[in-house]
Amino acid sequence: MPSWQNFQPFIVTGLALGGVYALSGVGLVVLYQATGVVYLALGAVGAMGALITYSLISGGMAHWLAWLVCLAFSGAVTLAYGMIFGPLLAKRDPLVKATATLGLLLVLFGAMDLLWTTSGGAVRSLTFPTDGHGFSLGHVTINWTQVIGLGVGVAITAGTAAFLRFTKLGTAMRALANDREITATLGVPVRRVEAAAWLGCGILAGIAGLLLADMVALDATTLTFLVISSLAAALIARLRSVTLTFGAALLVGLVQNMLVPIPALTSYSNMAPFVLAAVALLLLSRRRVIGLSREEA
Amino acid sequence: MYGRGAHARPFVALIAAVGIATLVGCGSSGKPASTSSGGTGGNGAVKTSDCGTKPGVKATGTPIALGTIVTNQPGVNFTDIPYMAQAYFNCVNDNGGINGHPIKYTILTEQTNPAQIAADAQQLVQTDQVLGIVGNTSIIECSVDSSYWQQHGYYIIDSGIAPECYSTSNSAAVNMGPRYSSDGAVQYALSQGVSKIVFDQANVPGTDHIAAGPAALAGNKNVPIVQLTENVPVTSADSVAIKEVNDAGPNGAVILNFTPPDALVILKAAQSLGLADKVKLWGCSTPCNTDFLAAGLGAQWNSKLFVNAELTPPDTTNSPTMKLYQDILTQYGSSGPNKVSGGVGSFSQMGFTEAEIAVHALESIKGAYTVASVNAAFKGVTNFDTGMLCQKWSYGGYSSHLPNNVDYTVTPNNGKMAVAQGCTQVSSVDPDIAAYRQQAGVAPLDPTANG
Repeated sequence: MPSWQNFQPFIVTGLALGGVYALSGVGLVVLYQATGVVYLALGAVGAMGALITYSLISGGMAHWLAWLVCLAFSGAVTLAYGMIFGPLLAKRDPLVKATATLGLLLVLFGAMDLLWTTSGGAVRSLTFPTDGHGFSLGHVTINWTQVIGLGVGVAITAGTAAFLRFTKLGTAMRALANDREITATLGVPVRRVEAAAWLGCGILAGIAGLLLADMVALDATTLTFLVISSLAAALIARLRSVTLTFGAALLVGLVQNMLVPIPALTSYSNMAPFVLAAVALLLLSRRRVIGLSREEA
Repeated sequence: MYGRGAHARPFVALIAAVGIATLVGCGSSGKPASTSSGGTGGNGAVKTSDCGTKPGVKATGTPIALGTIVTNQPGVNFTDIPYMAQAYFNCVNDNGGINGHPIKYTILTEQTNPAQIAADAQQLVQTDQVLGIVGNTSIIECSVDSSYWQQHGYYIIDSGIAPECYSTSNSAAVNMGPRYSSDGAVQYALSQGVSKIVFDQANVPGTDHIAAGPAALAGNKNVPIVQLTENVPVTSADSVAIKEVNDAGPNGAVILNFTPPDALVILKAAQSLGLADKVKLWGCSTPCNTDFLAAGLGAQWNSKLFVNAELTPPDTTNSPTMKLYQDILTQYGSSGPNKVSGGVGSFSQMGFTEAEIAVHALESIKGAYTVASVNAAFKGVTNFDTGMLCQKWSYGGYSSHLPNNVDYTVTPNNGKMAVAQGCTQVSSVDPDIAAYRQQAGVAPLDPTANG
């Protein structure tokens, strides 16, 4: 077993990744609350946005402008999907809604494979100016991109929580989550509220795509399926609380990275999100069963 | 290549690079000294018409059917290799063909599905009735079809990935594959006096086979070696880099055997965390030998990262063969449905080499073109100057084939890969290499190689 000192750098990397997982996780939760859709294409949307950014930067576009294009693309694609398919699927089972987003995932994934081919040994990377700068904390070197990853996660979570609690639109989203029909009869513009949720989720997908492209890899497959870690965090929070999602995302990132230096467990680090989600869901459902039994008694 | 296991990518890398051949000037082919036209070897004299025996005359005879099976799936796309071979064959067909016969080349793609791969082999043999197999590059094709080729008398010229591409009698690759390329990378690190080796590779089927080579080399020098594997795609590159550096120590070396994308994320993570200089050197098997990676890393890795390279570097080699390769790529491989999308690089060099060897062999046939005569010609290729490899290339009737076992080492140099060490024999301490050399000996160096 490595010493505590050896674990310290892995805590930093885990927190940074966890912060970015939280971004996506918060997007998933907000969208689910407003529309009832588990948006499985979130990773693919962010991946394609990041690849577009890479191509634009390679073509000479200013970095900040290319980043904005990524957010615009991710927001627009997600909004378009939501506006076209959202109403058509509104009354369908949640499983059908989630599965439908897999269609978008596959379309985007195929497009990325065609447009950004991996033949000929091609590799791509997206870097931020903050990558090469940082500071030391004890024996650990921390770069500013890692700080940004965690910081953006905190900021988005806090901002989203405040938005849901203190704004009219946020209140409408929470109302939709409670009862869509009653909310509609009360005069809440359901389509507009849903559109805002789709757009916000898409923009978060774009931000997460950019950060993960730098921190993990600019690779369609990797980024597309990193949504699993965020989904695990959202599931641990039962797709209800953005604050819990943030905490769960940090936990996922920490556990996943802190398993790496343990030789016997390093090969299983990728399982961490699934295991944590499964354990959390089992425990939560057990508590619910016990609670119901007590009520009946 | 080295790759990404069940998920595919892993192997993309296997690219273990390759070498290729030059027709030119190599005596026994019967073809005019195409790459030596001009007499002095100056590259300006080479024309694509030099690829055939009758410049400007289209071949109109009965086609000679050749075929190939190549992996093409999301994340793993080796099609540049047969596409470049196709470009070469098209050039030959436009310039006289093989004694007037054009080459008809059938390319089948597969998605790492054994049943599909087995069916592809049957289709090529039974339906398309190909006379030879040239350019196979697949994650598992050698494992699946090896016995089928043996039963039907086919001697494959390929780019190897799976162990069977090297360990069987009916497959000869132009590249070294992951194990022997990793040997080369570890050998270079040991030559620089490192005190410890950390060898990290993708967690895919065959890791034990690959790891045995570096372990033998390090053991022979009494240098401790730590063997690691990572699930791919790598999603915690920062943590992987930290682990590697911690294990290697300041006088150690970290040697990677990954596809270019995974190697890049690990190296980039090391760079952004300030870990690049925490070890004596970093090494990599052939997949890292790409300018994409050199450009993605930046100058900090100049003379810090050393990559085993199985093919003669195209950027710094001014030989007639290299000129012919680039001209064919431009004229025949830069457009159309079979465009060589990666351009100049290991993949297209491999395709060029395989096609060149095949054409050289076909031109030696005196009678009818049949499965027997074509494959006898392939098997009979001996000491052929490819112009793309360190040493001359032979097939031969051996139980295993490792005809490319002398390699370069390259290092990033401001966005390009530059030669750090010329042609060097990979050590026979690896028992597989020793066994091959016991049968085949050590081929002479290619005259155009950078020794």
